[in-house]
Amino acid sequence: MLLAAFEFPHIDELFRWKGLFFGDTAYEINKTSLLVLISSVMILLIFVGGSRRMRLIPTKLQSILEMTFEFIDHGITRDVVGKDAGRFTPFLGSLFLFILFLNFWEIVPFIQFPPTARFAIPLYLALQTYFIYWYLGFRHNGYRYLTGHLFPAGVPKALYILVTPIELVQIVIVRPFSLAVRLLANMMAGHILLTALALLTAYALENAPIIAIGPFLLNVGVTGFELLVGFLQAYIFTLLTAVYIADSIHPDH
Amino acid sequence: MNVVFAALLVSENANDGVKASNPILPETTEIVWSVVAFVLVFAVLAWKAWPAISKSLSDREAKIRADLDAAEGARVEAESSLETYKQQLADARGDAGRIIDEARQAADDVRRELIARAEADAADLRTRAQEDIRQATERAMVDLQARLADLSIELAQRIVERNLDRDTQIALIESYINEVASTQK
Amino acid sequence: MHDILLAVQEAGELKDGLSSIGAGIAYGAAAIGPGIGIGIVVGNAITAMARQPEMSGPIRTTMFLGIAFTEALALFGFVLFFLAKG
Repeated sequence: MLLAAFEFPHIDELFRWKGLFFGDTAYEINKTSLLVLISSVMILLIFVGGSRRMRLIPTKLQSILEMTFEFIDHGITRDVVGKDAGRFTPFLGSLFLFILFLNFWEIVPFIQFPPTARFAIPLYLALQTYFIYWYLGFRHNGYRYLTGHLFPAGVPKALYILVTPIELVQIVIVRPFSLAVRLLANMMAGHILLTALALLTAYALENAPIIAIGPFLLNVGVTGFELLVGFLQAYIFTLLTAVYIADSIHPDH
Repeated sequence: MNVVFAALLVSENANDGVKASNPILPETTEIVWSVVAFVLVFAVLAWKAWPAISKSLSDREAKIRADLDAAEGARVEAESSLETYKQQLADARGDAGRIIDEARQAADDVRRELIARAEADAADLRTRAQEDIRQATERAMVDLQARLADLSIELAQRIVERNLDRDTQIALIESYINEVASTQK
Repeated sequence: MHDILLAVQEAGELKDGLSSIGAGIAYGAAAIGPGIGIGIVVGNAITAMARQPEMSGPIRTTMFLGIAFTEALALFGFVLFFLAKG
């Protein structure tokens, strides 16, 4: 076994980064925070700059911005939340773009690290969604929001012993946790996979160059796949947020 | 710059050794900065970008709808004016037919009148000619009678001159005078 | 004294190794159900799309939602893997 001596680095080396600025304070900036800030500046530059002068006959950039808007506004907000739910488009659109840009750092050469693979970002975004849908639920439906979920209509009374705890755990813990973990774990797994294949290629190149073509081609393929995953996870996170918001506003549907 | 770049590529543990906390647990600093970044993105996009894009889309929709409406209006108008033109064309065609009929009628009338007048003239001429002929004949007959009488008398005179002697003549004259005298009584 | 230290160290290593094995098995087990589940979700979604191509859009959205909910279980296992391995 030529590759028997290959040793994978400790997991911390893949995800934990030294502080760059403001070391050892709560405002310490490490690679993750830096990428998050760069992403938000990029989003702002593209979208605010691009929408500064809108024309009747769109330029290419304007078309892209409009397609993004339509994708969120029609594909997610109006389809899932409701026809008159246009007021949620700014939030859902910003959420989608934010996650999308962060996810795509995974396959940017020399950066190759998705900040969403750190629990901080998915956790924050999921908690944000969590508070928003609780707030909307109580604002639109009062206490019936909670009782409607805990004691669903059409279920035999005896089953409430079973259904109510499950529903409670579902809306209080499972929803935000699965939302955060889905994004985190997908990006984390992708990052580990890419790192493993890259390291394997480098190791094989040193010891048995002919074998290196295998992991290399695999790496290229997985990189393309991660592009899809990055988009899909941003879409699913936004879609689920929309579904939860819709559930809070019209709990009967 | 190189320092930053190197620090981006080199992870924390390469220098510091294994930390106690788990790699999937969140770090405070990352939460702080992601909150800042997301709130910034949301606020600025909601303030500047989304309304502008939404407005551009609805403007275009309104423009296209207005254009379609205008085109529909123009089509209806064109159809109605086409209808009018067709109507007018049919009217004009009817008028032309009527005018031609009238002209033909008038021409017919004129022709008939002319023929009638020509026939009348011809009849007039003929009667006048016949009258003339009749008069001329009559005159000729009168003349001829007169001449015939004259000639007869002359002839008679000549014959009588040669055959009658003086006595007879006188007797005849006597008898004539008597006859005339008797008729004049 | 040295032997005791060695034994403690070995016990520690044994514990690490066992927890790694446990974590690996936990993740593997957690991936079975969602694997089957996602297969069922996508398969039925494809059948539905083939039957009613005009409903592809809503079906695709619902399919992604179904995948997301099913996949969450595998991802819990994935996270548990890191937590258990420590």
